Amino acid sequence: MEPRVKEPHVRFERITKRFGHTVAVDGVSLHVEEGSFTTLLGPSGCGKTTLLRTLAGFYRPDAGDVFLRGVRITDVPAHRRNTAMVFQEYALFPHMTVAENVGYGLRLRRVPAAEAVRRRGQVMELVGLVGQERKFPHQLSGGQQQRVALARALVVEPEVLLLDEPLSNLDAKLRIRVRSEIRALQQQLGKTTVYVTHDQEEALAISDRIAVMDRGRIQQLGTPLAIYHHPANRFVADFVGLANFVEGELSGPGLVRAGGVTLAVPDGARDAGPVTVVLRPEAIRLHTEAPPGAPNVLRGRITAMSFLGTLARYWVDAAGRQWTVDVPSPGEAVMHGEVFLEIPRERIHLLAAE
Amino acid sequence: MAVARWGDLRRHAGDPWLLVTFAGAAAALGIFVLYPAFRVLVYPTWQDYLAIPRSLRWMQAARNSLVMMVISTVTATFIGLAFAFATTRADMPGRRLFRTIAMLPLFAPPFMVAFAYILMFGRQGLVTKSLLGLSANIFGWHGLWLVQTIAFFPLAMLIIAGVLDAVNPSLEHAARNLGADEWTVVKTISLALARPGIAGAMLVVAISVLADFGNAVIIAGGFPLLATEAWFRMEGMGDLKGAALVVAMLLVPTAGLFLLERFWVSRRVYTVVTGRGSRIARPPTPAFLRWAAVAICTLASLLIFLVYFGVIAGAFTTVWGRDWSLTLDHWRLAADRISSLWVSVKIGALAGLITGTVGVLVAFLTSRSLPLRHVLDFLAVLPGALPGVFVGVGYVLAFNPTFIGGTMWTLAAALAFWHLPMGYQAASARFKQIERAIEEAAVNLGATGLRVLRDVYLPLLLPALVEAFAVSFIRAVTNVSIVVFLITPGQVVATFVILNMIQNNIWGAAGALTTMLLLLTFVAIGLTWLSVGRIVRSPGVG
Repeated sequence: MEPRVKEPHVRFERITKRFGHTVAVDGVSLHVEEGSFTTLLGPSGCGKTTLLRTLAGFYRPDAGDVFLRGVRITDVPAHRRNTAMVFQEYALFPHMTVAENVGYGLRLRRVPAAEAVRRRGQVMELVGLVGQERKFPHQLSGGQQQRVALARALVVEPEVLLLDEPLSNLDAKLRIRVRSEIRALQQQLGKTTVYVTHDQEEALAISDRIAVMDRGRIQQLGTPLAIYHHPANRFVADFVGLANFVEGELSGPGLVRAGGVTLAVPDGARDAGPVTVVLRPEAIRLHTEAPPGAPNVLRGRITAMSFLGTLARYWVDAAGRQWTVDVPSPGEAVMHGEVFLEIPRERIHLLAAE
Repeated sequence: MAVARWGDLRRHAGDPWLLVTFAGAAAALGIFVLYPAFRVLVYPTWQDYLAIPRSLRWMQAARNSLVMMVISTVTATFIGLAFAFATTRADMPGRRLFRTIAMLPLFAPPFMVAFAYILMFGRQGLVTKSLLGLSANIFGWHGLWLVQTIAFFPLAMLIIAGVLDAVNPSLEHAARNLGADEWTVVKTISLALARPGIAGAMLVVAISVLADFGNAVIIAGGFPLLATEAWFRMEGMGDLKGAALVVAMLLVPTAGLFLLERFWVSRRVYTVVTGRGSRIARPPTPAFLRWAAVAICTLASLLIFLVYFGVIAGAFTTVWGRDWSLTLDHWRLAADRISSLWVSVKIGALAGLITGTVGVLVAFLTSRSLPLRHVLDFLAVLPGALPGVFVGVGYVLAFNPTFIGGTMWTLAAALAFWHLPMGYQAASARFKQIERAIEEAAVNLGATGLRVLRDVYLPLLLPALVEAFAVSFIRAVTNVSIVVFLITPGQVVATFVILNMIQNNIWGAAGALTTMLLLLTFVAIGLTWLSVGRIVRSPGVG
């Protein structure tokens, strides 16, 4: 049998969208696999919401096409696409009860009353809203409103579930709880989901795959692990997590000269020339005495410290620059003065200098 | 992003009803707004226009109208400013009472102030003759000046108070903190920030003064004015061309001021209404300002009291100025003409319904990204620039030869579309308050354009609809400027009857019928307040 290229569930094909003279999305292509949780991550104005709204049909791209299961839907109006969305401000209908809000999509689809009641009940139970049916949105807490919005989208059994920064209006604790609930629900239903956020931690926690966007383009597409540990460029490394950047010169196999020091780096297929060393703060180890036999040890002096509970963050002057170093699980130990930085070779990530 | 393009039509192609509705609304506005205006302007020939400067009477009327505009605007704005200032400072004695009293002229029929002041300050005036023993003549420019000042200062007050209220008290405190004394704060911060509001208030008052027909026709006497000249031309001489020419002359300054207000002043307002009530107290008001404002407000309040008192007292007094004994005879006479009140209610309800539905529908359509929506928006606000007498003459020229000519439908349509900007702007404002995402959520779940209107917007806009109905109804039943042109013998409305009574010195019955009209107005305001929780205001213009 001839091997067939499996058509992705959603396919963006060289999408460009301009608003006046601003290019919001600039020739983006992206595949979303069936059942996957894909996150569009980036700063405000990077085009992530525009791309999502192009899929929902609120914007018509100036160039390019959107495919759903291989069918071109670029010209299908928004109300005929089955791409239910959870809005950032929830956009609940203020004049309808919770039950009416959730049932609205079924009413439009002329689902028979008995079945509509059954499906509505199921979804309400799924999101934990049983007992709230007769309340109006303004009588609910932010978290409950969020669930109504989710239920309203899920009940129509959308082809693709779209979420546009759904957690940004919740407080920090609730945000973490709801995000794991959303993820659990998505996995339980196996629903193809496209999620938009500017919160990198949220994206790492919730996604199968992340598309990091900047200035209308996808900078990197990958799993959360790959995005964090092997960023494709300086923007991604800087936007996702904290990083120390050291400009240097790849001088020999596995050696980088940066300022006055030479760092042993992982052997790679990289050619000699200017590179940027990327180092996550938690990858560096701090010692009060020089660790014997370890490569990549720098002598430095602590200039500032910030205690964050689960970790202690130090700013250390060494080799003529400042380093950010995270010490996990610090307990009550506080370091000061002269220290030694140990940089494990395998935790160094190299980028071609930009 | 906001620019609608023909290409957007494609997105609505799956929604033919939206396009049909759009075409219908555009046609209605074209027929009932644009066409009458067009008819007025092309009715005289260009030779007629060129002859205007040679007509002594018209040049005099134009000059008089402009002089009245200037003097009435200055005094009305000044008193409006005093009231606005008094009602927005917490340390002002009687501020709530003043605010309530100042609103009263807004609910009065547009001829009521003039009528009441004839009773108070005329040859038979209670104040002038009976109390002071003077032989005063209120008819003429000075009487009109007083009347227009009292009738229109509340408009200025509302606008200026809105701006003053929005001045963040923190700015005033900051000025104090930097070393400004009380008077300097008021001068350099509060009033300085309100300057665009004051300019806007002056323009709105000026338009109202220019277009004021009701007061002018009663009290101006032999003093020729553009607003009344058109009616005299048509009624007295059957001179339709002259009437068209005069209202066309009147249109130039009113439309000019209207555009100035809309595109210049309203964009220069510094204060931003955040909706977040930062309600820290304002710093104290300088004592001399406090007492000056209170003095002005007390005097104006007294004059307003006399408006309502005069009309109601007139309805119960046997012979005004001679026999002060009480009687109910006038009510019997008024009861004979009560059918005119029902005609008013019928036409008012019709006008209200049209204004409400067309207003909401057009507001919905202009919020879509449809091509030509700016044209629709323009047509829906255009009537605000047209004086009532202009609309009256326009409808005579446009519809008298047609099948609705001479029916109450012409009058109802004229009143409805003249008041359309109020219904449209109220609905538009509500539309803007409704988050766009709510509509998108409905579309996202599968709703088409008109379905969105029915399921989402109509329920949310119902209060706006009720309000638009109420304002249009109240203004329709109290209107005179359009009524005098479109009245038909079989369908005489109350205001027309009252006008005739006043001109024939049948003051008692006029007072009784006006009192009934007032009751009707306040019942309508009350019912609206009960159903939507808002007090509708109906500036008595025209």
